[in-house]
Amino acid sequence: MGPEDPIVDTRSARWRTYAIAFLITAFIFATALYASNYFNDRRIADIEATQDNISIDILSLETQFDLLAEHSCQDISENSVLSREIQPLAQRLSYLESQSGVDEDELARLKRYYSLLQIKDLLLMQKVTDKCRLKPVFILYFYSNRGDCDDCEEQGYALTGLAQKYPQLRIYSFDYNLGLSALQTLVDINDVRNELPALVIKNKAYYGLQRIEDIEKILPELATLETATSTTTATSTRR
Amino acid sequence: MSIEALFTYTFLFISLYFEVFLLVSFLERRSRQRILQTVEIAMLPTVAIAVPCFNERQGVAETLRSLLALEYPADKLQIIAVDDGSTDDTLAVLQSFANDSRIRIFSKENGGKHSAMNLALANTDAEFIGCLDADSVVASDALLCMMPVFQNQRIAAVTPGIHVKAPQNLLQHLQHVEYRLSIFNRFIYAALGSVFITPGPFSIFRTATVRELGSWRYAHSTEDMEMALRIQEAGHWIANAPKAIVHTLTPATFPHLFRQRVRWTYGWLRNAVDYRHMLGNSTYGNLSLVVLPAAIISIFAGIYFFFRIVYYGIEAIYHKFVYLQYGGPIATPSFELYYVNTSAMWFLIFASVALIVVLISVGSHIGTGRRMPPLTTPLFLLMYSFLVPLWLSAAVVRAVFKTGVQWR
Repeated sequence: MGPEDPIVDTRSARWRTYAIAFLITAFIFATALYASNYFNDRRIADIEATQDNISIDILSLETQFDLLAEHSCQDISENSVLSREIQPLAQRLSYLESQSGVDEDELARLKRYYSLLQIKDLLLMQKVTDKCRLKPVFILYFYSNRGDCDDCEEQGYALTGLAQKYPQLRIYSFDYNLGLSALQTLVDINDVRNELPALVIKNKAYYGLQRIEDIEKILPELATLETATSTTTATSTRR
Repeated sequence: MSIEALFTYTFLFISLYFEVFLLVSFLERRSRQRILQTVEIAMLPTVAIAVPCFNERQGVAETLRSLLALEYPADKLQIIAVDDGSTDDTLAVLQSFANDSRIRIFSKENGGKHSAMNLALANTDAEFIGCLDADSVVASDALLCMMPVFQNQRIAAVTPGIHVKAPQNLLQHLQHVEYRLSIFNRFIYAALGSVFITPGPFSIFRTATVRELGSWRYAHSTEDMEMALRIQEAGHWIANAPKAIVHTLTPATFPHLFRQRVRWTYGWLRNAVDYRHMLGNSTYGNLSLVVLPAAIISIFAGIYFFFRIVYYGIEAIYHKFVYLQYGGPIATPSFELYYVNTSAMWFLIFASVALIVVLISVGSHIGTGRRMPPLTTPLFLLMYSFLVPLWLSAAVVRAVFKTGVQWR
């Protein structure tokens, strides 16, 4: 037997092979896009389930608050912790936001829901602090994702660091441009201008990057909080 | 879709398409494999093998010994060793072979490899002329594997199967994998009539065709690409005989490898510019419609993906640094399905890499008869992704500014 013939064909264009290769490549592309979409949908479903849980938690807390209205503040403040699921939720939302190919409308819907849950929690906590004459230690953080806020990312890190230091501190973060009427009302009440990042501490708005030391000066009550790392926090590192 | 995403997916589509195209062509070819007629010993044509040498005292003796061991009628084989103005004692090494009637030795002023080839061309009456770089050795049956191919009168040149000679260190083992991929490429390009390089280690040419096309040219230090393009331009075919085995010494250090690859890529780009009229011209078939455009695009795709990775890598490190400065909690490594990257881009990169592994495996099968890719294949895939763009970028910059390249 001799060697194999090293030439099969002339070099003329092989349109049929071009077409077959195109179809296979297109199929691989379609599969990759479908798989990516599928996993993103799974993530969205995951977040929705978590949000529903949080919603139930909040409703339950409100009901508990009403029921316990006549009871001691001790019981209430111990029970009224923000759902433990909210921080992982913030991280998951943030991750989803960083992924390409996620349905923008769906993402915005999830974020609006998340913001609403935060506002509900904020109101509940305000009620508790009023009733029980506690000193409110809340920070509202407004950020933007539109690329018009250079310091937002760093502000997010600073707040994460702060939450790490003071686990009892409650930080609520909101996308300024979310277009949620309840959020707009919150912005109006606190008179927050579109100069981000913006923090609202004790009903006063602060603009520009606030480092941990700056916030500690503004909020000396922080010193009265425990600096342990055992309790739940609610912080978003999102931009 | 952002411009960046558009670039990324376009490049991914083109690379994937090209890989799939090569694989489909290969499978189509397998289904109609034919066996060549063997050639009677008495009917074998005369062949001259030129061995251009410039300071090759280290390896040239082994090269010549492998040529002398070729299973080929002695009266039909001429070995033309050309000392191209070496400054070491290469000439003395060559002269130690002078008593073999098959070897003729020439010495000339240094003029480059193409000038040494032309000297051999001017001094032979053989029907076929080949070249063997002085850093390579041939298997004894290599020539017998190649010559029957020329029974097809349209074939003007045949390339062999090139393997890395005795890989020692990691870099050479990486090249060992790369050469397996090249074995596949050379084979399938030949089947598609699209070979655009007739490499220095043991490509054989029809002497009459070379004379008709004019002699070898300097061609930006890559005379082996220019000659192949010229042959293609004239409408001749270039075949491949992968069973004709040649082992070639590969660079052992990164600076040497870098210099070699910058020279190859630079020469390739400059020759592509010189032969740009062939691009997209359907007269030249697959070569100009798919293979040449893909080879050019792959250079820019390689550079693009490299800088994309470097950019995002630096950005991620910077953010992590800022984050840690604020005392953010250090994430404990945990595997959570939610955070596994499932973007379409990663699926496509995975598909593309998987296809490359398949092509390496096919190359191994063609070259050695065994499908198992070399064990260093994963390392090759990882490290070459970072090494290749370095010389691609350097070559593009030099080609744009036409700086020229050095052999050594």
